[in-house]
Amino acid sequence: MKCISFIKYATAASCLMSVASQAEINFSGFTSVNAGKVLSGTGVEHYNVPPTFLADYPIVSAYNEEWAMTPESLFGIQITADLNDGLTAIAQLVGRGAEDYSPEFEWAYLSYDINEHWTVQAGRKRLPLFYYSDFYDVGYAYVWMRAPADNYTWQIFNYNGINLMYNTDVGEWSLAANMYVGKEDDKENKLLGNFFFGDQTREIWKDMLGGVVNLSKDWFESRFTYMQYTNQRYVGGEKTMWGGLDSRKGKFFGAAFNMDFDDWFILSEINRLDLEFDGNLDTNMLTLGYRFSAYTPYVAYSSMKQKGDDVMDGENHNTTSIGLRWDFHDSAAFKVQYDKVKDNSHDFAVAGDSKSISFGIDLVF
Amino acid sequence: MNYFNKILVVIGLMLSNYAVADVAVIVNLENGDTIDANLIKKIYLGKAKVFPNGTKVKVYTLSSNQEDTKYFRQKALKKSNSQFKSYWSKLAFTGKGTPATKLDTAADIISAIKKDPKAIGFVNVKDVSSDVKVVKNY
Repeated sequence: MKCISFIKYATAASCLMSVASQAEINFSGFTSVNAGKVLSGTGVEHYNVPPTFLADYPIVSAYNEEWAMTPESLFGIQITADLNDGLTAIAQLVGRGAEDYSPEFEWAYLSYDINEHWTVQAGRKRLPLFYYSDFYDVGYAYVWMRAPADNYTWQIFNYNGINLMYNTDVGEWSLAANMYVGKEDDKENKLLGNFFFGDQTREIWKDMLGGVVNLSKDWFESRFTYMQYTNQRYVGGEKTMWGGLDSRKGKFFGAAFNMDFDDWFILSEINRLDLEFDGNLDTNMLTLGYRFSAYTPYVAYSSMKQKGDDVMDGENHNTTSIGLRWDFHDSAAFKVQYDKVKDNSHDFAVAGDSKSISFGIDLVF
Repeated sequence: MNYFNKILVVIGLMLSNYAVADVAVIVNLENGDTIDANLIKKIYLGKAKVFPNGTKVKVYTLSSNQEDTKYFRQKALKKSNSQFKSYWSKLAFTGKGTPATKLDTAADIISAIKKDPKAIGFVNVKDVSSDVKVVKNY
């Protein structure tokens, strides 16, 4: 019996070793080095929040009235092991200034191409809720300093689970769709713990089931998404109850439309999170940009509004931004952005009104 | 005379520019598929992963800093180098695509394509040899 299991292990190990020796390993990565400060702001007096610009909710990248480089700077490395025949293992390590650059595995998954249309992936991945969710860390891949903060207010941004992808052509159009199931148990949620409740918060999203459909052609792209989950929460070790139950349901709906007319482009996004006992959290975003040679100036507006029967004075804030991206190098871009935030809620005020400036360099390698 | 010289220089520059820029998309001699501009665009943007005959495509590219690469991306894909890289960093860092394999010289591209019926690449027209098949000129 022991002998058999030893043989099994030995066979498995030798298989792994032979696979390992065939793997083609590639390293790639991305970096952002950013700086910013609040020019003027109200803060939230009744919550003891000084003038603050919350540039990034999930990671709690907060600028105040002094220049700071840590809130949004980051360094990411991706390791791709191509094991041939459509099998790859991918990991992404990200160190953030907001977390003293201690690296974390944001992604760690296996990917297998079943055939030319279908791919299955399993492991830890970024939760693809919003359009920019899964490449949120890769500043080089988008025009702004950051994906609009008002929209990207999610507490949970990874999941552990299985993702099934489908790709096909429909005439001029390309269709990319995926479906995923998974769970995330964040023992120390930064946004809820540090920013909202001021006490260690464990946030659980389970029974996640979601899908994304992306339909694109030359100049037009549309993306539709749905996700549902069950939420459980412990604040300071205490179970949160909603209407006598220790869990509640959330449903996320989103649509994004992008149009590219050579020099001009429009980016837009509209989303709703329908969360039991918190009503509807509606987020919208619109960006207009213009490219001339290496320069891309843009204006952007984003908003978040919470509405519902149980909600009297919910979260309600918006940001107007103007900025410039300058592709001064083949693999690097300089960006500068001015943001004006209006925080219209009293009870659910986040960081108050603010005007701020931030700039930085994004690169990929 | 002076004017004439200047005109000659200008024409010469235009011609040389043209000669440097012309790029051919090439595949293995065994590849009998019809590969049009639309498919080339889809392949290089990671939207098509197979040839019409169903075989998986192996995509090659020259490095970004070469004039032929810039010209190809602009002409065939309607993207500048930074737009192209920005587009691909979105796919590569989200597990949605694998970027093309980069080779240093046209000779490397031709020898890779000569060996692999699944391969596609591009080189300057002046580097094309009878070892590969041209499917499209830009």
